[in-house]
Amino acid sequence: MIKTTNLSKKYGKVTVLNIETLEIPKGQSFGLVGNNGAGKTTYFNLLLDLIRPSTGNIVNNGVQVNTSEDWKPFTAAFIDESFLIGYLTAEEYFYFIGELRGKSKADVDTFVAQFEEIFNGEILNKKKYLRDLSKGNQKKAGIVAALIGEPEVVILDEPFANLDPTTQFRLKKMLKELTDNKNVTVLISSHDLLHVTEVCERIVVLEKGNVIKDIKTSPETLKELEAHFAL
Amino acid sequence: MFKKFISLEWKQFKRSANFSKSLIVKIFMGIGVLYFMSIAVAMGFGMFFGLKESFPDSDPWVIVNNFIIFWFLGELVFRYLIQKMPVLTIKPLLILPFTKKSIIHYGLGKSIISIFNFLLFFILLPFSIILMVKGYSIINVLAWFFGMLAISYTLNFTTFLVNKNDKYFYSILSIIVILIGLEYYDIFKISTVAGNAFNFLSTHFYAIIIPIATLVTSYFLSYKHLAKNLNLDDLEEKKKEVKTTDLSWLNRFGEVAPFLKNDLKLIWRNVRPKKTVFSAAVFLFYALYFLMMKKSGMSGHTMMAFAMMFVTGGFAMTFGQFVPSWDSEYYQLLMSQNIRYKTYLDSKWYLMGFAVIISFVLATPYIYFGWEIYALLVAGAFFNLGINSYLVLFGGSLLRMPIKLNEKAKAFGNTQGFKMSQILIALPKMFLPIILFAVPNYFWGFNAGILTIIGLSVIGILLKNFFLTKIENIYQKNKYRTIEAYNEK
Repeated sequence: MIKTTNLSKKYGKVTVLNIETLEIPKGQSFGLVGNNGAGKTTYFNLLLDLIRPSTGNIVNNGVQVNTSEDWKPFTAAFIDESFLIGYLTAEEYFYFIGELRGKSKADVDTFVAQFEEIFNGEILNKKKYLRDLSKGNQKKAGIVAALIGEPEVVILDEPFANLDPTTQFRLKKMLKELTDNKNVTVLISSHDLLHVTEVCERIVVLEKGNVIKDIKTSPETLKELEAHFAL
Repeated sequence: MFKKFISLEWKQFKRSANFSKSLIVKIFMGIGVLYFMSIAVAMGFGMFFGLKESFPDSDPWVIVNNFIIFWFLGELVFRYLIQKMPVLTIKPLLILPFTKKSIIHYGLGKSIISIFNFLLFFILLPFSIILMVKGYSIINVLAWFFGMLAISYTLNFTTFLVNKNDKYFYSILSIIVILIGLEYYDIFKISTVAGNAFNFLSTHFYAIIIPIATLVTSYFLSYKHLAKNLNLDDLEEKKKEVKTTDLSWLNRFGEVAPFLKNDLKLIWRNVRPKKTVFSAAVFLFYALYFLMMKKSGMSGHTMMAFAMMFVTGGFAMTFGQFVPSWDSEYYQLLMSQNIRYKTYLDSKWYLMGFAVIISFVLATPYIYFGWEIYALLVAGAFFNLGINSYLVLFGGSLLRMPIKLNEKAKAFGNTQGFKMSQILIALPKMFLPIILFAVPNYFWGFNAGILTIIGLSVIGILLKNFFLTKIENIYQKNKYRTIEAYNEK
């Protein structure tokens, strides 16, 4: 489980994130929505110990994120293209991540093969470096790579953005299957209210760094969110 | 139209990361620029009086003319390595209501504002003024001055024509090397031919028409070249089909294997590290320069020790000093993955180690200069393995400078990384081998010096884990600052 206590991040005088308490139980599919600048990416960056918290901390499965590295073996993420190694081909990148997580080439091949539909023939065997793929394809590669090695925590920042409609559906399907696995905690941030209500069982709305809604997803949630953002 | 370009340029300059840093950095930058300018001017002054003193019977102007060809040849090489094509900043302008013509002219004109073009200007200006004061014909001097500048700018535009073509570069480079060799051994002196041509210019001012003609031609050709290639699909590099490289023979190295594999791919698939490593190969020959000086009796053992260290240390210094900056584009990935910094550092150390060993083997011919030189080579190799490697990694961990793997390095654009800590690191790197050798050498002789270096280096190698752990702690401590610095575009 991921426990956030007294977490805040300030840049100068501006507080961009302020979460007093937030508990994400193991196996939950957790959605984070909010307008631009709400603090979604900041929260993920703090969770991955990429920025220093101004106050407070996050404890990921018993490991305090900013004091120990022991969360790294079971946590995977794809935030943006700085998580890709541009000069590798997709396969090389998958093998590299696989090596870091103790998976052999054969394991990786088997694992990645199930995403054939999503890849649509544009990623594997293309003889192209990741930096030469389209943004959408880069994202596909990054998201799949994040899943290699059965991580227990998966963090995806706006996974649906930049993807073509077909891929969005396929990704949604894949994420739903992933979240059915109660061993994996999945955190997703998104601007797409429809997708996020379909994939996540709990949705938290951030605004200017504060949690203003924390809902268990139900058939009415989509309407509730739309009403909220339509203001 | 032109005014708009200028205003864009000014904003870009003022808002660049370098410029918006603290006042102190700006002052340093300003001082740096003034410093170089004044060196150039001093050179210009010095050239006349210095030459007059050393060769009282010859005309300094004639001497300059005889040897300026080498300056131009050097310029050609240097420009190729460092000069950037103007097209890089043109992309956003393509869809705005600027005519293609004006964009190209602007791009070409902008390329004139670069350090190379100013360097020659500042050197020759005082020289020419002195010439005029000393009574040489004013019109000849002026013609010569502008003629030389014209040639330099011709080289500027020529570089664009051959920029993308590596084959051109190597053939030109080999021609230059051959010419220098022929000159050195008095077989064919290009300096005489060129000298005569330039001396003709300095006595017959109308000959300026030739450099002006070459300038106009090169400008025109570059213009045509760019005009043809101003479409987006021409601007972007052709995406060649690439092979997935299988480096699994490296897997025998265990934990460090994934990083070794990535680093090799990083070097040969990206422009900047490739050029860096290429320039490291040049270091193999560095000591030759010192050895030639030795023949003229100008350097002693200590200097040679210094030089021989460079022979095997080229890679460690050029590549190692930017670790982990090479990985800055995906540093966030590395920081959030199950990567032990120690393993990462280990892999860099091994990589540098291989480079030392390979360059050591390649440097075997140095044995021709005698066993003493070879012993220094051995000592230098050990030093690079057991001491320099840590110094270099230490410096790199403090650098925090993001590197775009596929952009060419700017000649003086790295003022961002201009930190006191850098200078402090550079000093021991320079002086340590000298001290380690010189002190025992002085007291107990040559062999003692060699053994000291080797002995200490072996201890360094044995203490690898200790030193790398120390460096790892620096990585940990500075993690957030580094990530922030790398995220700065």
